[in-house]
Amino acid sequence: MIPDSVRRERRAARLSLARMVLLVLALGALLPWIANAYWVKTLTSSLALAIAAAGVSLLYGQLGLVSLSQYALLGAGGWVALRVGHGLQWPFEACVLAGGLSAGILGMIAGLPALRLKGLYLALVTLMLAGGFQVVVSATGFPDGGPGWLGRISGSERLMMPRPAIAQDDGAYLAYVAVWLAAMLAVIELHRRTRAGRSWALIRRGEAVAEGAGVNVLLYQTWAFGLAGVCAGVAGALLAGGVGQLDGRAFAASESVMLFALTLIGGAYHWIGALVAGLLLRAVPSLLVDLGVNGYLAMVFFGAALLHALITAPRGLVGQWMATISRLRAPRKAP
Amino acid sequence: MIDIRGLTVAFGPVTVIDGLDAVLDAPVCGLIGPNGAGKTTLVNVLSGFVAARAGEVHIAGTSLLGLNTARRVRLGLRRSFQNEQVVEDLSTWDNVQAMLDHVPHALGEGQHQVYRALEHTGLLDCAAEPGGQLNLFRRRMVEVAKALVGKPRLILFDEPGAGLDERESRVLRDAIAAIPEQFGAQVLLIDHDVDLIASLCTQTLVLDFGKRLALGPTRAVLDDPAVRRAYLGS
Repeated sequence: MIPDSVRRERRAARLSLARMVLLVLALGALLPWIANAYWVKTLTSSLALAIAAAGVSLLYGQLGLVSLSQYALLGAGGWVALRVGHGLQWPFEACVLAGGLSAGILGMIAGLPALRLKGLYLALVTLMLAGGFQVVVSATGFPDGGPGWLGRISGSERLMMPRPAIAQDDGAYLAYVAVWLAAMLAVIELHRRTRAGRSWALIRRGEAVAEGAGVNVLLYQTWAFGLAGVCAGVAGALLAGGVGQLDGRAFAASESVMLFALTLIGGAYHWIGALVAGLLLRAVPSLLVDLGVNGYLAMVFFGAALLHALITAPRGLVGQWMATISRLRAPRKAP
Repeated sequence: MIDIRGLTVAFGPVTVIDGLDAVLDAPVCGLIGPNGAGKTTLVNVLSGFVAARAGEVHIAGTSLLGLNTARRVRLGLRRSFQNEQVVEDLSTWDNVQAMLDHVPHALGEGQHQVYRALEHTGLLDCAAEPGGQLNLFRRRMVEVAKALVGKPRLILFDEPGAGLDERESRVLRDAIAAIPEQFGAQVLLIDHDVDLIASLCTQTLVLDFGKRLALGPTRAVLDDPAVRRAYLGS
C-alpha cells in the first residue's frame, strides 16, 4: 500500500543512517592511527562536544528554539558522572548514562520557559540558567573523590575518574567516544525520521498548526529539551572521562553562547554540522596553537564565520557543502 | 450535524460573534460573509483555538466547547488554515502521516489511510517529494489530504482554494465534494469564491457583523436580497 517512491525514499533514509554511523565509527577507528598524542586528546574533546552540538542542532534545527544553557547541562552531566563514578564506583557506561539522564531531566526543566517564551526571550532565560550554573559550579567545583554530597577532596591530590577497561589509552578512548557519538547521532536521527520528528516539524511550522493536528506540544517540546539535555550530559561525562576530572572555571555561561554560535556555523540541519561545531570548538584553537598563533585569535575567526553563516549560509557550512554537491551531481543526472 | 446555540464570542469589549443560532446538517455546508463577519472566528471556536463567552456547540450530539483542541481532533474534527501549512522538509506522505500520528486509527491501517487520502487528492505521484518542492495547488491538496486521515467527522476548510486558478479550483471542488460519501465526514467550507460555494454546498450560513444574516439552501441564500446587499454588493 506504500508507493514505490516512498519505499525508495525510506530505503535511502535507512542507508544514510547506516552510512552516518559507519562514517563516525570509521573516523573513530582511523584518527588514533593518524593523529599524534596532542591531536588525539583534542579530537577526543571535539567528538565529545559534537554530541552536545547535536543536541543544540536538535532544538534549533527541529523546533527553531534557541537554548543557551546547553554547555551548563554538559557541566551538570559531567558533575553527576564524576559523582557516581567516585562515590559509587559505577561502571563507566553507567556513569555516562547517569550524567546523560540527569542532564536530560535538567534540560526538560530548563525547557519549561519555552512553553511561553520564544526567540530572544527564551535565549535570555536559558542564558540566565547557564549563568546560575556557572556561579554554583565555580563555588562548589566538580567532585574529585572526596566525601560528602559535593564529593570534594581537601588536603590531598584530586582523584581521576577511571576510564572504561576497553579504552584505557588515549587512542582507544577516542574510538570509544566516537562510538557514543555514533549512537547519540543515530538516536537523534531515528527521532527525526519518526513520529517525534514529524511532530517537531509541525511545531516548527507553527504551534497552532501542531495543535490543529492534535500534537501534544508540551510533551514533544519537553521531550526535545530532554533529549538535547541527554546529549549534553553524555558529552560532559565523556569529557570528564577523557581528562579524569573537570574544572569549574571551564563552564562559563559564555561557553553556551559559543556552542550555539558554532553549531549555527557548522549547520544545524545536518549531523555533519554537529561534527564541524565540535571541531571548531576544540580543533581550531588547537590548530592555531600548533601553528604558533595565539589560540584566542580563534574568536576573531569564529566571529567572521558567524557573520558569514548568518548572511550567506543560513544552513551553515555543511548546508553550503551539501548544496554544492547537489549542484555538481545535477548535470550528471540530466539525460 | 453542527448544532450551534446562542454562541457568543468577544475579544474584550468587541463582540465578534453575537448569539449565533444555527443548525448545519448538509454534507457540505458553506460559510460566507464580508471581511470581519466572524467566519474564521467561528472556525477557531469550533476547533478550540478561541474560547466562547456563551453558548453551546454540539457535533453529532457531542458537546464541543468543553473539550481542548487535542480532544476535538481525536473526536474527528479537522481544520485547514487560510495560509497553507505544509511542512517543507517533510515529504507529502509524511505531511499526511504527521496528522495521522495523533488521531485514533487501527494498528496496521495507518498506511492504507495515508494512501487513500493521497489517492483521493491526486498526490500519489508526488508522495515522496518534500513539501518545499510542491506548487501552491499541490500544497493546498496536501491540506485536504491531511484532513482525511483518522476517521474525520467534521472538516473545516478555511479558504482552501485561495490562489488557485480555475482548473485547479475544479479539481479541488471535486475532491471536497466527494469527501462526505468517501470518508463519511461533514464539510464546512469558508470561501469568498461564491461560485465554489454555490457548486459545492447544499446549505449555506451567512454571517454579518457576527450575526446570522441567512441560513438555508445555498441558492435561496445567495438570492436573498439582504445577503446580496451585505455581501455581494448589489
